Amino acid sequence: MERSYDVVVVGAGPAGSVAAQAAASGGASVLMLERRREIGVPVQCGEALSEDVLKEMKLKPDPSWAVNPTNSVKIVSPSGIAVRISERRVTGKVGYILNRKVFDKYLAIRAAEAGADIRVGTYVYGLVVRDGRVCGVRARGVDGDFEVEAKVVIAADGVGSRVARWAGMNTAIKLDDFESGVQFQMVGVDFESPSMLEFYLSSRIAPGGYAWVFPKGEHMANVGLGVLGSRAERRAIDYLRDFVARMPGLARGKVVEINAGGIPVGGPLKQTVKGNVVLVGDAARQVNALTGGGIDSAMRAGQIAGEVVADAIREGDVSEKRLREYERRWREKMGKSHEKYLKAKNVLLGLSDQELDQLAETLSRVDFERISLTDMLRALIKSHPKLLWKLRGLV
Amino acid sequence: MKVDQNLCLRCGGCVGVCPFDAIEATDGSVGPNQRCTDCGICGKVCPVGAIRVGKKL
Ligand code: SF4
Ligand code: SF4
Repeated sequence: MERSYDVVVVGAGPAGSVAAQAAASGGASVLMLERRREIGVPVQCGEALSEDVLKEMKLKPDPSWAVNPTNSVKIVSPSGIAVRISERRVTGKVGYILNRKVFDKYLAIRAAEAGADIRVGTYVYGLVVRDGRVCGVRARGVDGDFEVEAKVVIAADGVGSRVARWAGMNTAIKLDDFESGVQFQMVGVDFESPSMLEFYLSSRIAPGGYAWVFPKGEHMANVGLGVLGSRAERRAIDYLRDFVARMPGLARGKVVEINAGGIPVGGPLKQTVKGNVVLVGDAARQVNALTGGGIDSAMRAGQIAGEVVADAIREGDVSEKRLREYERRWREKMGKSHEKYLKAKNVLLGLSDQELDQLAETLSRVDFERISLTDMLRALIKSHPKLLWKLRGLV
Repeated sequence: MKVDQNLCLRCGGCVGVCPFDAIEATDGSVGPNQRCTDCGICGKVCPVGAIRVGKKL
């Protein structure tokens, strides 16, 4: 390891690794630091990824990490009314359930192959600041404390980014915007179809969030839920145990792994570049507020950040003004959809269990192969005029 | 604030909500630094209830 790099990336999740790879491919010298001793472990929640993002990243799905293809979703209302949607008809997408342990490490390996240095088991505990400017990071590794210089620091250190806080941003997240997630990897379970993602909405099952069943193969699934910090009355894991116990296909399954994670669902941060510090992934809250899914956005943002930072370094201009190209580009690419998801989430949060049941009842009679999402929402509003004001923002 | 290391899953969620940047989460342990005010916010989000807050600690 050198003592000075063009770019230091803090955090080796999907956002950090893709950023490190893109920056290194663009000719920058890159060091990526990861507090965990094994990249990808412990797994955090959610392991679903869309096919589109793999294409964009020129990644060929490999069975070692893309363990199970999915092509449809089932949404179940509080009283148990199921709405089944073949995803491709509605959104044109299919996806994969990932093995994050393998996938995250694979992305890090790609970064290394592009030329990035990596240090695992290395805890970043501060920034080196001179004359008000960030010049590097302070870290603690197996060989003790060290400082490393950087022209640009990429903060990929997750929700509530400490790196960004040290750079002077207030990134602590509000309880209203934060889902506490917990997930069991289960075996010996039954579900409708291995290619179907299941979502359960109910204030009883998961206040302010939802429960999910993501099949990982025959009789194996990730079963988890997220609860809103401000609405939950018990620990997330208590809700999950109850959910599993009440589901006939799950109750007799065995838990072989427990994962947890915090999910920011308040929409992306307004500012994602501060001086020469660039925020990507959960640190920038680039998370689908409706589903809590963040890997797609994290990778897209990481790619853009890495490209922009490498260009900026080549040009010798790492000013905030120059680096804001990153912010412009990621907003152009995904800003609108993030706004839409946030709106939809807020609408859903405003619905009572009874209203969710009404909605599901109507939706379960819709032929999704013949109707567009917008037409469907219009039909819905017509049949439930009282829901009108709550749903209008979505059409 | 105190973290039960046996329960803690090292998810880092508490770090994100602490308004005082008072939680250090390494690979081996999660716990407060001297900035902790015992405000209790982190305890509300811990998915497994590993955090205890209060004067009696
Ligand atoms: S939120 Fe709980 S489980 Fe997660 S790191 Fe903090 S103490 Fe550990
Ligand atoms: S009790 Fe408050 S100040 Fe202390 S670690 Fe938790 S959130 Fe931070």
